[in-house]
Amino acid sequence: MPDTGYLPKGKIKDFIKELAKDAIVYAPVLEGEAVVFGPFSEEQELCLERPANTPPKSVIYPQSETLFTFEHKKDPEDHQKMSVELKAGIDAPGTVIFGARPCDAKGFIIYDRVFINTDTPDPYYMKRRENTLIVTLSCAAPFSGCFCVAVGGSPASKEGADAMLTELPDGYLIEPVTEKGRAILNKPMIEDGSSRLKDAQQVQQKAHEAVKNPFAKGRPEISPELFDADPFWEQALSKCVSCGACTYLCPTCYCFNITDEQTFGKGERIRSWDACMFFHFTLEASTHNPRPTKFQRFKNRVGHKFVYYPEKYDGAIACCGCGRCIRYCPVSVDISEIVNDLGGGGQKQQTAGSAKND
Amino acid sequence: MPELTGKELRVVGFLCNWCSYGGADTAGVARFKQPTDLRIIRVPCSGRVDPLFVVKALLAGADGVLVSGCHPRDCHYTDGNFYARRRLEMLKRLLPFIGIDERRFHYTWVSASEGQKWQQVVTEFTNRLHQIGPLHAKKENEG
Amino acid sequence: MSTEKVKEAIAKILPDVETVICWQGGFDAVHATPCFITKPDEIDKVIWNPLCAQNLTSYLPSLNKKKVGIVVKGCDSRTIIQYLQEGLIDREKVVIIGIPCTGVVSVKKVLKEIGQEPVLDASFSGSGGITVRTAKGEKALSVADVCPDKCRSCQYPTPLVYDHLVGDPITSDKPKESVYQDVREFEAKTLEERKAYWEKELGRCIRCYACRNACPMCICQDSCIAETREPHWISQKLSLQEKFMFHMIHALHLAGRCVECGECDRVCPMDIPVSKIKKKINAEMKELFNYETGVNPDDRPPMFTFNVDEVKIKEHKI
Repeated sequence: MPDTGYLPKGKIKDFIKELAKDAIVYAPVLEGEAVVFGPFSEEQELCLERPANTPPKSVIYPQSETLFTFEHKKDPEDHQKMSVELKAGIDAPGTVIFGARPCDAKGFIIYDRVFINTDTPDPYYMKRRENTLIVTLSCAAPFSGCFCVAVGGSPASKEGADAMLTELPDGYLIEPVTEKGRAILNKPMIEDGSSRLKDAQQVQQKAHEAVKNPFAKGRPEISPELFDADPFWEQALSKCVSCGACTYLCPTCYCFNITDEQTFGKGERIRSWDACMFFHFTLEASTHNPRPTKFQRFKNRVGHKFVYYPEKYDGAIACCGCGRCIRYCPVSVDISEIVNDLGGGGQKQQTAGSAKND
Repeated sequence: MPELTGKELRVVGFLCNWCSYGGADTAGVARFKQPTDLRIIRVPCSGRVDPLFVVKALLAGADGVLVSGCHPRDCHYTDGNFYARRRLEMLKRLLPFIGIDERRFHYTWVSASEGQKWQQVVTEFTNRLHQIGPLHAKKENEG
Repeated sequence: MSTEKVKEAIAKILPDVETVICWQGGFDAVHATPCFITKPDEIDKVIWNPLCAQNLTSYLPSLNKKKVGIVVKGCDSRTIIQYLQEGLIDREKVVIIGIPCTGVVSVKKVLKEIGQEPVLDASFSGSGGITVRTAKGEKALSVADVCPDKCRSCQYPTPLVYDHLVGDPITSDKPKESVYQDVREFEAKTLEERKAYWEKELGRCIRCYACRNACPMCICQDSCIAETREPHWISQKLSLQEKFMFHMIHALHLAGRCVECGECDRVCPMDIPVSKIKKKINAEMKELFNYETGVNPDDRPPMFTFNVDEVKIKEHKI
């Protein structure tokens, strides 16, 4: 088998159908003016020209899932005795995520540290992760708000992917990253890609150099004094409206809520996404709330992504620079600008490409 | 949700405690025959009925919702049903916009002595619902 | 009305207020963002152009202990009037700079016109033109083509309440019938078509609550019943039923209060036409009670009051 594959543009739907023979394929499709990841079917319009509005995180980490169902049962011999019957099952069919961007795939690496590489691994996440193949599409050019290169990523990063596609004029080069990913080169419509590899690498390099770096220091560096200064946050976040758009659309956000929902004797335990931007996130049963203001909540969000997670995991930043939080924020709160200001502010760095020409 | 045996639909009724619940009681005492699909929830006043109760009932599995209160000007709490009239009229006009047949929701005014009218309302409303059919698709394994 | 005149007006009122809420340039050339001016040297970053889409009045109720200044377009001023009707702000505590507006741009529509390319630069001609520059070149558009739907039927381009007016008043050239035209067109569909439409559109909802939080009239915010556990209105499950329920809660709590500012449509990250349901309710408020939101501070929202005889409401026969 050759090291790389090539998929002609006209054959892309056939390729997806081929993959769909033994897995559910999630691909970015156009619905209204929004691009969302959904199970792909013939009637839908595939949309690969821009990053999807929602990241594919819900494929492996669903927005809401039932962990188990429970039923209170009375012992027929002795009505005083009650028992609880639990039924748990993990729904993890073979799945392919097709057309995610490198920033989306990085999100799964960030989740793996939390859900798998821990003393108490999450069986639900783990099983789905094992059964999912991730095929990414490298970006030809940065999108508005993107800053992946500033947080250790790249529009052509292979981190987190099983195979990566790069768009060329008439087709896509496919570079396998893992053994699982290598298997897709077997499909009948895949040609040998070795002659196209160089072109693809040029496209990848050009994309990498075009991404803006919003940090004056080139990377996020947060000064502890500025981080703890309340007036800074109040001034920067006055416009925030405390919705959950940034968190729900973020490929690296993973906080969740566990709720028992019960009617009479039967119920289920549900895990669903939570957003640290909501007031209810830290609301305690006594009605005390340690983070009652939106300033404190956003400070926690920046802290988690750029300070606490890196401290715990050897410097890995829990932000992939996809820019969705900036693009879809109702009031355009710009997390990269805030992090830059926390580093002392200063002129935004040139892009990697233009800096080279100086 | 448990499957319904027989031929009943799920119809929820919000009845005000003073007039309509009394009217339903009158109908019962007089032994008027009516379809048994209706399940009654007693509220103090039709003004207590939040349009969202109706919406929640319809979305959660009811095939039809009936709201009944005292006649306007006769509200036990003076003006509760005046508010109800505005809210429920607004809801009645909104439901078809979101794709719910407006015949699935009906609001009416029945006083405590109007047992006959109550029987008529329940019978006609339920029969009309049976004509339209259930709102929620039956599950595949229903025999 | 030029940006300079707006800046002058802000400079004039700034000494009397704790902060002035206005717009500044956003993260890229096609976005504006709210800014809170507290010092004169910050006024320089203020902008006024068709990018200034956000309805800044939504910050007023939470700031009502302070005296604040605010810049409003015509549609935004309707929110202030609605707040006055409901007693949510103290008129004495707000200094309003009104700007007659000829329309803003919808970023979603601009991006659609230019193939979703990042915008490097945007400039405006005084006559309703916008030129955007991307890596692929320049494209000239007219604001009238890329404005949000609300601007197409705008009846109140000039603010209805203000302390200072920057620019000459404009009267609307849009026919009154155009306001609810989209509602009427939608009603021409069959019941099944309407149901299928909402199932498709609301199916994408992720319950991020951006529409609710950006809505100026949704003031319950942290106490919203969509999130309460006692009573438990909506499950944490993500079925269509729950999404429908949330949107009904949002729309019904806005019955007779929605000022049609269009923020909900603008902020939805999934491009769901959330304002349609509220517009339908508003159309019925007009029909039943001859009520229009945000026009007269002495009005009473129709759901807060009643008439003993309702001329337009007849008892329904089965």
